[in-house]
Amino acid sequence: MAQKRIKKELQDFGKDPPTNCSAGPVGDDLFHWQATIMGPTESPYFRGVFFLTINFPTDYPFKPPKVAFTTRIYHPNINSNGSICLDILRSQWSPALTISKVLLSICSLLTDPNPDDPLVPEIARMYKTDREKYYKVAKEWTEKYAQ
Amino acid sequence: MRSLVLTGLSFMLTASVIGNAYYQKKQFYPSVVYITKSNPSMAVMYVQALVFVVLMGKMLRALFFGQLRAAEMEHLIERSWYAVTETCLAFTVFRDDFSPRFVALFTLLLFLKCFHWLAEDRIDYMERSPAISWKFHFRALSLMFVLGLLDILFVRHAFYSTMSKGPSVQLVFGFEYEILLTVVVMTFIKYLLHTIDLQSQNPWDNKAVYLLYSELVMGFIRVILYVAFVFIMIKVHTFPLFAIRPMYLTVRAFQKAAQDVILSRRAIRNMNTLYPDATPEELSSGDNVCIICREEMTSGCKKLPCGHIFHTSCLRSWFQRQQTCPTCRLEVLRMPRPQQQQQQQQQQQQQAPQPQQAQNQNGQAPLDQMQNPFQNMPGMFGGMPFQWNGGAGAVPPPNPFMWQPPPQQQQAAGTADQAPSTTTPLSSSPTSVASATSTTTSQEANSHIGGNVSATSTSPSSAPVPPFPGFPPFMPAMMPPMFSYGFPSPPSSMAGLSDEELRVMEGVERSNVEARIQWLRDIQALLDGAMVLINQYNTVASQVNSRFYSANPPPVVPISTSPSSTQQQQQNASNTSTCTNWWPEGSGARPKYSSTISNTHTTDSPKERSGSLSSPSEKVEKSANCDKGGSKGATGLPQKEEEIPKWSNPREEEHSDEMHEVRKRRLQHFSQQVDTNSTSLEKDKNKDFTTGDKNSANSEDKH
Repeated sequence: MAQKRIKKELQDFGKDPPTNCSAGPVGDDLFHWQATIMGPTESPYFRGVFFLTINFPTDYPFKPPKVAFTTRIYHPNINSNGSICLDILRSQWSPALTISKVLLSICSLLTDPNPDDPLVPEIARMYKTDREKYYKVAKEWTEKYAQ
Repeated sequence: MRSLVLTGLSFMLTASVIGNAYYQKKQFYPSVVYITKSNPSMAVMYVQALVFVVLMGKMLRALFFGQLRAAEMEHLIERSWYAVTETCLAFTVFRDDFSPRFVALFTLLLFLKCFHWLAEDRIDYMERSPAISWKFHFRALSLMFVLGLLDILFVRHAFYSTMSKGPSVQLVFGFEYEILLTVVVMTFIKYLLHTIDLQSQNPWDNKAVYLLYSELVMGFIRVILYVAFVFIMIKVHTFPLFAIRPMYLTVRAFQKAAQDVILSRRAIRNMNTLYPDATPEELSSGDNVCIICREEMTSGCKKLPCGHIFHTSCLRSWFQRQQTCPTCRLEVLRMPRPQQQQQQQQQQQQQAPQPQQAQNQNGQAPLDQMQNPFQNMPGMFGGMPFQWNGGAGAVPPPNPFMWQPPPQQQQAAGTADQAPSTTTPLSSSPTSVASATSTTTSQEANSHIGGNVSATSTSPSSAPVPPFPGFPPFMPAMMPPMFSYGFPSPPSSMAGLSDEELRVMEGVERSNVEARIQWLRDIQALLDGAMVLINQYNTVASQVNSRFYSANPPPVVPISTSPSSTQQQQQNASNTSTCTNWWPEGSGARPKYSSTISNTHTTDSPKERSGSLSSPSEKVEKSANCDKGGSKGATGLPQKEEEIPKWSNPREEEHSDEMHEVRKRRLQHFSQQVDTNSTSLEKDKNKDFTTGDKNSANSEDKH
């Protein structure tokens, strides 16, 4: 079932790819994908290209895929290991969600970080108190790691 | 890199310490004695031992796991910190027998714990990674074997040492290794399940169920172990602070496992029994792709209460994890009951047009009666908010409940059979009275009963009797509470009716409702009339009172004068009447009535309202705060007296003439009483008012 559904998703993704995102399996392993996200324009990640790995569980639509950044990114909800703090990737997962929707959610998370539920508290604090500095550092990181 | 440097440094230090000792003592034994006596040397040796342990761990890790994945590493480090903290806490409890051996044992425990965690993670990863090589199996099996063996050995050792030497720190070790043993067993069960799953091509639906149950059992064992451990520790030593966190986590995990099992069971049962199968029309209309598996739905689909349709198998797998609608996240178990009822009604309506079951009604009816309560039960229980501690909500519906309804229904059927002969077609029959006097809120329930009765009435006699011409006498008054609370009408029993029968039933229902509403309106009119009368009594009484207690005689002004003169009179009253608080509750109670009256004003006669709310009267009320009762009574008097006919005028058009007759008769009755009792004081007043005045005056005199 998981395999079939992942295949369908791959087809749908090819038919109607979301803006700024791309994804596909690594090699011939359908359960392991790589994705890229272009930094959204109204964010400090603009002009950055961020790579992510996606690992599907074998009971995929019932359990969320494991999505993680491989490119380093300065973001309150993404830690140095690339783990993403996003509710739909954990408790709020629903089989109605797809990889393209997840990637879109990550894009919007890049634009609008959620400092109230941070994975990296220092960055969240900076985001709350000193937005300009956060913006500057995030831009630096983007230039350093994602270009 | 850093670890490499540290290791090298440690080796160099050790080499220098040993070299130094040997250089000084020249012989083996003296140099060993020298090293053990010298504290700095021993410190270096301990560090070296630690380095050895780490190296050993790395070697074993490479042997059993190969390269660790990033997530595994992160997990390991995070857990290690907690474990180290707890070990330090444990040291404080056992500070008396603190020794290098003791530390070594704890280090070994930590070491083994790490491997247990890694094994757990690795087996979990199995589920995610599609390609599992034979090497993986070999590694996993051998690792679990070794870990299990070590655990058993340590538990055994701890047990015997505790038995022979009494309770000591071995108690902690024995307990910790027991917990680790459960971890190994659980890991092995998972491994087995994953392996079986991987062997077959199609997904194994029941895997999640087995996982759930094994987790439940293991959680239970762990909870028991922790409780026993804490109990023993409190008896022997002191409260084991270091066991609090893992114990809490274990209890919570167990609770979650139990909750998962119960919720998923209930959701799946609900799905099987309660939710309707999607009809072909629903499937063919619009998008018929199951959002879970992204495949077309042709058959075997269920419709959730929120209207979303999925494959039954997909839905079952999802409900094993979460009990929400995948599309809209509606919590299917926490659904409020009205919605469910509504849904059931929809279901009835959906099924009603299908007359297929009407043919073999006789054979199926009893079966339906037995099954339907069962169909309804999960809905009721499912509708309740889930309480894990509740117990009552957690158990499946008990049998007696399932078997209760049929006799009632049969009873209903019996009375319904008699009904056509005894009761006349509704409208003015006493049954409407009964239904009107029954709880007004249970109209829905009544309609349910209608469904029940009609459905069952057709079943014993297969002849096309026009079903259910009226409520059987006293049935609606007695039954609704029970039915409205417990048993909404079984959905499929309506299906036994043909379209025409349904239409007839609908008409009867409608006339029932109309009769009820009519009766309620009559009651309301009566109540309004009573209100007005009471209000008049009050005003008159207040006026009489003010006449009694004030020094000046009350200005008795003709009532039917112009508004300006009444205002003058009001002012007079407010000026002359003293602050006599003669009727304390009168001032509190009267505004209510006046407000109701003014409400009728707004609806009935706007002119009156404008007259009564003219600004001078407001001023009067403000100026005469202290004797609000008296002045208000004076103001209210003429207005109310004028109102009565106006108030009843619009109602008259709506109501039946009976109603008006009743009121007239009552008023006449009052007036007759008054005429016989007393002589009239105020000639200008009309009949209605005199009655009120006299009555209240009399009552005042008696007081």
